[in-house]
Amino acid sequence: MPLQTATGAVRTGLVAFGFLGYLILIGIPAKLGGPALPVLALVAALFFWLILRRESAGLSAVGTGPVPASLERKAGWEIGPQSASDASSVRERLPYQLSQSVLLKGLLAGATLGILIAVVSGIAAAAMGNGIAIQPVFDKIVPINVAALIGVSPGQIPQAEVPFFRYLLQVLFFTGAGLLASLAAAAGRSGLTHAAPIAKLSEQVSGPTIASASRYAGIALPFVLLAYIGWLGLPGVSAFGSNEGTVRLLFTLVATGSGLFAWRLSLPGRERSIVAVLLGLGVLTLPFILDQFQNSVMGLVFIFVMMGLGLNIVVGYAGLLDLGYVAFFAIGAYTYAFLSAPFSSPYISNLLNILGISPETPLLGYWTALPVAMLTAAIGGILLGIPVLRLRGDYLAIVTLGFGEIIRLFMLNLGELTNGPRGILEISQPNLFGLSPATVTSGLLSSQGWTFFVALISSALVAFVAIRLNSSRLGRAWFAMQEDEDVAEATGVHLVRTKLLAFAIGATFAGMAGQLYAARQINIFPENFSLFVSIDALALIIVGGIGSPAGIVLGALALKGLPEVLRGVDEYRIVAFAALLVIMMIVRPAGILPSARRRIQLADPVEAGLDSTAEPVEETDLVEQTGTSKQTANGQEEAK
Amino acid sequence: MTALLSVQRVTKVFGGLTAVDAVNLDIAEQSITSLIGPNGAGKTTLFNCLTGLHRPEVGEILFDGDTLIGLRPDEITDRGVARTYQNIRLFGRMTALENVLVGQHLRLHASHWSAVLRTTRQQVEEREAREFARELLDFVGLHGREEVVSTNLPYGDQRLLEVARALGSRPRLLLLDEPAAGMNPSETERMMELVHRLRDEKGVTVFLIEHDMKVVMSISESVAVLDYGEKIAEGTPEEVRANARVIEAYLGPDVAVQETAGTASS
Repeated sequence: MPLQTATGAVRTGLVAFGFLGYLILIGIPAKLGGPALPVLALVAALFFWLILRRESAGLSAVGTGPVPASLERKAGWEIGPQSASDASSVRERLPYQLSQSVLLKGLLAGATLGILIAVVSGIAAAAMGNGIAIQPVFDKIVPINVAALIGVSPGQIPQAEVPFFRYLLQVLFFTGAGLLASLAAAAGRSGLTHAAPIAKLSEQVSGPTIASASRYAGIALPFVLLAYIGWLGLPGVSAFGSNEGTVRLLFTLVATGSGLFAWRLSLPGRERSIVAVLLGLGVLTLPFILDQFQNSVMGLVFIFVMMGLGLNIVVGYAGLLDLGYVAFFAIGAYTYAFLSAPFSSPYISNLLNILGISPETPLLGYWTALPVAMLTAAIGGILLGIPVLRLRGDYLAIVTLGFGEIIRLFMLNLGELTNGPRGILEISQPNLFGLSPATVTSGLLSSQGWTFFVALISSALVAFVAIRLNSSRLGRAWFAMQEDEDVAEATGVHLVRTKLLAFAIGATFAGMAGQLYAARQINIFPENFSLFVSIDALALIIVGGIGSPAGIVLGALALKGLPEVLRGVDEYRIVAFAALLVIMMIVRPAGILPSARRRIQLADPVEAGLDSTAEPVEETDLVEQTGTSKQTANGQEEAK
Repeated sequence: MTALLSVQRVTKVFGGLTAVDAVNLDIAEQSITSLIGPNGAGKTTLFNCLTGLHRPEVGEILFDGDTLIGLRPDEITDRGVARTYQNIRLFGRMTALENVLVGQHLRLHASHWSAVLRTTRQQVEEREAREFARELLDFVGLHGREEVVSTNLPYGDQRLLEVARALGSRPRLLLLDEPAAGMNPSETERMMELVHRLRDEKGVTVFLIEHDMKVVMSISESVAVLDYGEKIAEGTPEEVRANARVIEAYLGPDVAVQETAGTASS
């Protein structure tokens, strides 16, 4: 076995250890209790699978040419000639070597992880058994977690004599996870090359019936979850004791996310529209069945979906890196705040008194204020856009960053107008045809549920507009501008108009989101609009997949929803997301659900690499094949 | 025949370097004109002046009687001047078809609202644009490559796609910056044939920069020669080939004395 594979495997094991160590640190094993070890092993398997699959994807792409007849017959483990010089023997050799090295790598990585965890939990158990206090901050978390991991109940820790076989069990479990992951990775890929016995097996097992069955299972999943969430909400049902609220929220996040995958799994055409309608209805019932806390989190998630979709127009479509996006969010929020609660602003109430209008009542309702907030934000977008028209890349990022801060400082220091750090208070909630939503739905819709509902509808609308624009000539002009500004202009794209439209439309969406945010918060303060809102919005589109609306929804679910699920381990939340982001970028550099174009861009280096190593005669041939096999591979990824 | 493009005393200075020095040039409608000259002679700079990427300090550029000076690149494209680039500059992550659709951007007029609502008019326009893009791809010989991402196209095909993209704006004058650079003989052959068909079938006036003398001599009706930013010769290929200053510019003064009427091959 090449040394490279071995070191790579150990490295993978170490990274996985860091990841799992983090999970242990935030208290996952203690929450899981008894099944902690198998569940963690499964998590590790998933982690390995993602890494190994990516590796086998890069390599097996070379081996997906027309398989020689001889290869089909002698499917086995023998490694081909080591010094293969002509292209055909490269093809013959690679799939074999590939599946074997992937298998070995999985096993070794799993074993590394298992040994590390066993050693660490052994040390921790020994320390606890001897009454040695570890760091005070870890004290409340580590013991019970380690105990859960080695199958000891927390009460027994001081006296625990942990038998050796329990540590062995850990090693075995994680090695098994590595094996499982490598089998899955190898089977998934070499199914195309008929290389390893596993491939044969997977081909026989996952025939067309199974494949379509798993597809239907994928489509059914969100509906099952939605039904489960509904069931959890029934009076008297308590599945998870004190954690019920968070668990239900977690299921809500997963159900919404899996809904997007289900939509992608469905066949385009009638099936897809049926799935879409049913999913839409299913998700729209969520505000009615969730409680106040879950609704408030989901409301925030979908406010950020709107933000993400808007920022995606600027960053993802037009390629203008905007770090001051929070400015438009703030403009939308404050515009609605002034219109809805004029009495909170000394300047505006004075003005209204002079004009003979009572500042005690809202000037405009939520819906009538909506166009005003959108328009104000759009004007803000254009005002930012004009001075930065000539800037590109880093310079643009810095200027927009400054713009975001300027708006926040305005809000903070224009005390007469914005009431400074004391904020604008008692902003009214959106109503339903002049009535409070709770009355209309006879109490079914709480105030946060209504916010969530409005956020859902608005996000859908925003996504619709964004997708339609992107597929029109404006979308093409944006993308051309992102690719090469000078050429786009020489090809006939009016740069000023196109850029300003991107800024204005992006800002409009942020204004909508800001208005709803103000209504949700009831009281808003300048601190609500710090730089971190911009960074969150940018992070969620990067995690989800730049340029892909479905990815943005997933990104918002992961970045704004999951931290709330982890409320119980508050102090580690931020670390969790740092780690999650790093892992995300390693495993899926283009985002969870990347747009087709983004995938092309990130696939380039691999293709370029292949290009230079391939035999000159076969060059174009090979590149074309990798291109197509990559496409099918991506198709499969989505299918999963 | 009246001149479609008339360049008058155009001068472009970069710091202390005069890249284009008082060049006068007339290009007749429906002609094929070549611009040649040693490396750094200012050929591409002249092209950039024509397409609005650079603004010349002095001089006048008239296209069909109207000035192009001071217009933005997209406005110049709108008047009917399109170009390709020396180092291929396609929109790499877009498909071949999308590249040509961007080329048509100026000729599409559906409002963005109608794109959101997908009105019938907008749909019809999009469909026609796609048909036209397919036609253009067929015309340049990229049939069947519509959905290929442009960076994945072979080099020669990328050059052809640049021509198709330029044709998307329905130009009257097409500027080709070294269309045959880096091509193998058969690809060059295809490109030369394409240049002829551009003029004969599409009625486009072609103005091209080229280093391959075989190409220049066989397809051009007239040739202009730049050296150190100055136009040193102009005329039919035969005249230019015999011109002593051209030989001097290409081969150096000594050789020029020896070869009175030699061939100026690169």
